[in-house]
Amino acid sequence: MEEADRILIHSLRQAGSAIPEDVQSLRAFTAELAVAAVVGCLQVLRPSLSSGLTPHLPPGMSARFRLGMSLAQACSDLGYPRELGYQSFLYPSEPDLRQLLLFLAERLPPDPAQESTQPSVGESAILLQAIGARVRELLAEPWVPPALRPQKHQDHVRPKALHVQPFILPNAKSLQDASEVQEFQGGPLVAPAPAQIPCRAGRVASFLEEHGAQLHELPEGDSTRDADKAHRRHLAPRLVEQLRQSWGQAVSSTSGVPAPGRDLGELLCGWGPGSGEPRGKGSRFTHAEKFTFAQEEEATHVPPLAPAEVPSLLSPLSPSHLEQELRAGQEAELASLQDHLELMGRSIKEAGATVKRLTLSTGQVEAEAQQAWLSTTEREQARRLKRRAVDLLPDAPSNLAKLQVVVEASAQRVIHLASQWERHRVPLLAEYRALKKRRDQRELESSHKAAELQVLQECVCAAAAEARRKEGLYKQLVAELDTLPGDMARSAYTHRILEIVGSIRKQKEEITKILSDTKLLQKEINALTGKLDRTFAVTDELVFKDAKKDDSVRKAYKYLAALHENCSQLIQTIEDTGTILREVRDLEEQIETETGKKTLSNLEKILEDYRAVRQENAGLLGRVHEA
Amino acid sequence: MAAAEAAETQLMLGVGLIEKDTNGDTLWVWCYPSTTAELRDMLLRKCCLTGENQQLHTFVYGQYRRTWFYVTTTEVPDSSVLKTVTHFSIVLTAKDFNPEKYAAFTRILCRMYLKHGSPVKMMESYIAVLTKGICQSEENGSFLSKDFDARKAYLAGSIKDVVSQFGMETVILYTALMLKKRIVVYHPRIEAIQEFTRTLPALVWHRQDWSILHSYVHLNADELEALKICTGYIAGFVDPEVSNRPDLYDVFVNLADSEITVSQPAKEAMTMGKLHKEIGQLIVQSAEDPEKSDSQVIKDISLKTREILTNLASFAEVSDDGEKPKLSFETLKQKRFPPATENFLCHLAAAEQMLKI
Repeated sequence: MEEADRILIHSLRQAGSAIPEDVQSLRAFTAELAVAAVVGCLQVLRPSLSSGLTPHLPPGMSARFRLGMSLAQACSDLGYPRELGYQSFLYPSEPDLRQLLLFLAERLPPDPAQESTQPSVGESAILLQAIGARVRELLAEPWVPPALRPQKHQDHVRPKALHVQPFILPNAKSLQDASEVQEFQGGPLVAPAPAQIPCRAGRVASFLEEHGAQLHELPEGDSTRDADKAHRRHLAPRLVEQLRQSWGQAVSSTSGVPAPGRDLGELLCGWGPGSGEPRGKGSRFTHAEKFTFAQEEEATHVPPLAPAEVPSLLSPLSPSHLEQELRAGQEAELASLQDHLELMGRSIKEAGATVKRLTLSTGQVEAEAQQAWLSTTEREQARRLKRRAVDLLPDAPSNLAKLQVVVEASAQRVIHLASQWERHRVPLLAEYRALKKRRDQRELESSHKAAELQVLQECVCAAAAEARRKEGLYKQLVAELDTLPGDMARSAYTHRILEIVGSIRKQKEEITKILSDTKLLQKEINALTGKLDRTFAVTDELVFKDAKKDDSVRKAYKYLAALHENCSQLIQTIEDTGTILREVRDLEEQIETETGKKTLSNLEKILEDYRAVRQENAGLLGRVHEA
Repeated sequence: MAAAEAAETQLMLGVGLIEKDTNGDTLWVWCYPSTTAELRDMLLRKCCLTGENQQLHTFVYGQYRRTWFYVTTTEVPDSSVLKTVTHFSIVLTAKDFNPEKYAAFTRILCRMYLKHGSPVKMMESYIAVLTKGICQSEENGSFLSKDFDARKAYLAGSIKDVVSQFGMETVILYTALMLKKRIVVYHPRIEAIQEFTRTLPALVWHRQDWSILHSYVHLNADELEALKICTGYIAGFVDPEVSNRPDLYDVFVNLADSEITVSQPAKEAMTMGKLHKEIGQLIVQSAEDPEKSDSQVIKDISLKTREILTNLASFAEVSDDGEKPKLSFETLKQKRFPPATENFLCHLAAAEQMLKI
């Protein structure tokens, strides 16, 4: 009972009723506490119903009465089967109150605290928990303005230092310098530029640095005074212009002046100081350069249109005279060009016709040659045959016969050889086929086994994954268990419950034993009563028969009848005693329960309250009369 | 007679046996007298036993480097003595073109092999035909090689079918053949190609040259090499990829779609004029005549060809006796033919080896 009360009170507290800590059993519940508990439950269960209810008992009696009535109404609405009235709340009796509170507690929704601990286990739960833990951590830390926070993730943005190494780059200016310098730069003491820088990472950086320095020194750059940025802005278009000029020169070199072997060094010389490749290091670019130049050369050999010559015709004379001369010159040129073109066309056509003729003749000659070769081979064979025939001709008939015999013999021999060969061939072929078949079968088996192995491996993997998952789950659940509040010692309760269940079972056994004993006794009684009646009836008859004749027997009969009556009265009295004792026990029980209900004290309270209500009514009446 | 027989019996070169066994392997199991590895590979390709889902072609033939091969394939019934063999092919190589003769012969050999299960019996028949020209067949008959004349083989094809399929376009084929151009024929079924191509050389009957016929070629490097050394040929392919090989043909005949295409480089040589129209009309008329037989149609065409050639020869200068008359370009130009005809005659003269070099 105590335990049950404690559980009930705990759940009522969780529902929100303000029950002081020291109240541990329902016996200590006063009217206030009862009202507070019920109102708290109603607020959780039916907020709409309990909107007008306060957890505190109002001072006025009528108000209290009203509150009690509304509470009773609300509880009946919820479905409470027993009768309720204001008295259940204002003058609570322990058993009734217990039943009501149990009813309400059952109806309460499950604890939200319990709800949250119900695991939605799985990865999302783990993630949520991790998030929750991190947020808790962050909340636990004091807030620091962002600027003052310690830098944590500087690792992945580590700028690498640019290591630059000075190296010797032979400059083409030295063409004009002393030959000694040339010798030095081209000789073995100065390694090629990339080899001068041992560290690979530094090569690119050094080259860039050197190039940048050289750009700064460009002739048009009197702008050492200028800012670096302005300088660089002008640099790109300047470079493009330079390149165009130098390439343009190369392209427009006319038929008169071929540009053979213009070294890349020379070209870049014209571009800037000392930015040429070291001599003796012909790069692929240089060779390609030369190649394209050679092509340019060839292109210029084709009948030149000599655009360069056209500008030369532009002489600075008077405009009209100039135009006439110009036109005449152009026409003459055009005529000559057209003649030339016609000539070329004719020669092309002739060449085409020649080519065609030659192709046809070639084809014909080839065909003739092949035919000739074929016929030669055929004739050679025929000649051989005829030669042999001619040799045999002198003795024609006998030779013919001999030939036939020889042919027959060789045919027979060949056939004989063939059958011998068969004797070798067939078993070998059969063996080959058998081996092949066996190999195929073995391959099939091994592929089956491989498939099985695969399946087993997959099972293993699946089992391993399952085991890992379960382990994770287990860890998660253990962690959750640790974080659970430990005040509810469920084990103690389960222990008690099991004990109670055991004791109830024992009691039930005893009851059944007693019942069976009672049944047995009752059966005995019935049997004995029956026996008694039968014996009496028999005796009665016997004796009565003889009683008509004999007096002593008549007397015996009378005594028998009296004996039977007295005994039956005795039995009746015993039975009545037993019944009365049972009634006494029942009545005693009833008295106990009634006294538990504290009816007397409640009655006194009711009388007092009745008097208080009457006084209030009288007071109100008086006020009404006054108003 | 002896000489004729001797000449004839030298025509057969060899016989071979290819088997497909229950393991799915196709093996070359026996041959007489001998074969080269190259020929073996090629014949394995030709017989339809290699490859997973090829259908069975009972009889195929073709040419490779002047050797004709004839392949007869049979399925082995369960009741035969050959237990491990599912199919086999008998391959016969010969120097001449005579499909009927060799089909009949190989059939006999097939039956013999099926019955006895040993190539020795086959060899006996082969040697009998080789030496005597006759052999006993299984069904109380005999095979006589002289029953199968070469001329009959040449005339066995149906020119009327060709003309009915292509109509006036047959003159393109005629021109190509006259000018010794390269013709490629494509059809998914080999039997159709064989039937069609064997008739084509009959259009140039005056040459009677069936060595230009290569009825069954695969897109294989060796075979294409062998093909390239011939100046003009008729090649049959079952592989549709051949249409993407314009280097192989001057005229492409899609037998399945009945289309003839002339390749770009050959268009110049194959330009056709009034003469061709005449020839085409003649061919069509002759073929459409229901009273004429195939050989008569061929005869008509060959008459026309002879006419053209005689005409051509008349332009030539008188030459020494025995040699062919030669003519030169200038002579032809002087006749002032229309350009297409002149072009054709030029090329024809080259093909007939009548050009003066």
